[in-house]
Amino acid sequence: MFGPRIAGENGIELRPPVLEDYKLFAAWQLQPEVTRFWGPRFSTETPANAEERLKRHLESNNSVTWSIAYRDETVGMTGVFDIRWTDRDGETGIFIGRHDLYGKGIASEAIRLRMAYIWKELRLRRTHNWIALANRGSWRANQKAGYSQIGTYPRSWFRSGEWFDEWLGEAFPATFPSDRLPSPWRDEKHPK
Amino acid sequence: MAFGGIVKGKRTTLRPPTEDDLPAYARWMADMRVRRAGSVWHQPAMPATWKERLTEQAKDHRGVLWSIEGNGKVVGLVSARIGGVEGGPNADIQHFIIDPEEWRKGYGWDAALALHRYFFDYLDLKRVSTEVRADNAAALRIAEKLGYAEYARGHQVHYRDGGYVDESSILMERAAWDERFGTTEREYVPFGAAR
Repeated sequence: MFGPRIAGENGIELRPPVLEDYKLFAAWQLQPEVTRFWGPRFSTETPANAEERLKRHLESNNSVTWSIAYRDETVGMTGVFDIRWTDRDGETGIFIGRHDLYGKGIASEAIRLRMAYIWKELRLRRTHNWIALANRGSWRANQKAGYSQIGTYPRSWFRSGEWFDEWLGEAFPATFPSDRLPSPWRDEKHPK
Repeated sequence: MAFGGIVKGKRTTLRPPTEDDLPAYARWMADMRVRRAGSVWHQPAMPATWKERLTEQAKDHRGVLWSIEGNGKVVGLVSARIGGVEGGPNADIQHFIIDPEEWRKGYGWDAALALHRYFFDYLDLKRVSTEVRADNAAALRIAEKLGYAEYARGHQVHYRDGGYVDESSILMERAAWDERFGTTEREYVPFGAAR
C-alpha cells in the first residue's frame, strides 16, 4: 500500500506516490551520481511499465511506499518492505534521486517521519536495514531516528577498485527519540 | 537453473524436485517442529496450489530448489539464491528443511556438505550466507562445522511459541572451505591425476 501524507520540517514531506513519480524512480536508478551504493544500474523498469509497478506496490499487503517531496517536488522515495506481520518486522529503505540536494537533511527528515508512522500507526515491533558503510550520511540519518548497528557484512560492494562493507542496523519503538516525534503525533490536540 | 541438478553426498542426494515430492513438502510446512526451527518454503495449501508453486519455481532465474533424498525417499528440501553481479559470486541459502521424522540421522550434515561442495568446488562461488534462528542448535552446529562465522545478530526478530527469538546472520568464505575441505571434498578426480 501507499503511505499517507506526513508533513515534516523545512519543506519536506512524505506523500503517496503518483504515476509520474514512478517514471522518475526508474530514471534515477540509471544515473551514476546516485548509484554508487545502489546497484546494479540496470533495470527492467521503464516508463511504459510504470503503471504496472505502481499498481503492484499499491496492492501490496506487506509494504508501505512513499514519495519524498522537497518544496512540493518529488526528490526520492522511501518505505518499509517485506513486512512479516507475524514477527511485526520489516525492512526499511530510502533513495534520494536528486543528487544536487544531498546534504540538506532531506533523508534525515524523511526517515524521522517514516519511523514515526511505522511505530505509531503500523504497530510494527522492529525494523532493519542494510546500508553501505561508506554511505555515512545514510546510516547516520537512520541512527538519529533510533537505528543501531548490529553487524557488518564484509565486502558487499565493489566500486572503482575498492571493496565496501555494509552496515546492518535495527530499530525498535523504544529506540525512537521521543523528543523528535513529529506532528501530528506530538500535537496536544491530536486525537488519542 | 531453477530446479537444482543432482549433487551426491555419502548418505543423501540433492536432486530436482518432482510433483511426487509435494505431499511430503505439504506435510513438513504444516509441522510445528519445522515452523519453530525456521521459515517455511510456503504456507500449507491444497495440492493444486503446491503444483502451481512448483511450476512457478521453475521460472525463477536466480532461485534454485532441490529435494533431498535419503535412504530411497525424500527427506528434505533446500533452496538458495545464487547471484554475483555485485559483491562477487555468492549464494544465499533461503530454506534448509529436513523431515522431522528423519532428524538426528545425519542427513542434514551430509546434505549440507554436498551442497557446499557444489557451491565451492563446482560453481567456484566466493561466499555462501544464510540466516539462522539463534536457538536452532542443530543448524548452528552444522554451520560451525562447515566454517560459517556470524557477521550480525538481529534481536527479537522472529515470533513463535509465544516469544521472540534472535536471528544469527552467518557467512562462509571460500577460504574456510579451502582450509577445511578443499583437499578432501572433490566432486571429480582432478584431471591431472586421471590422465
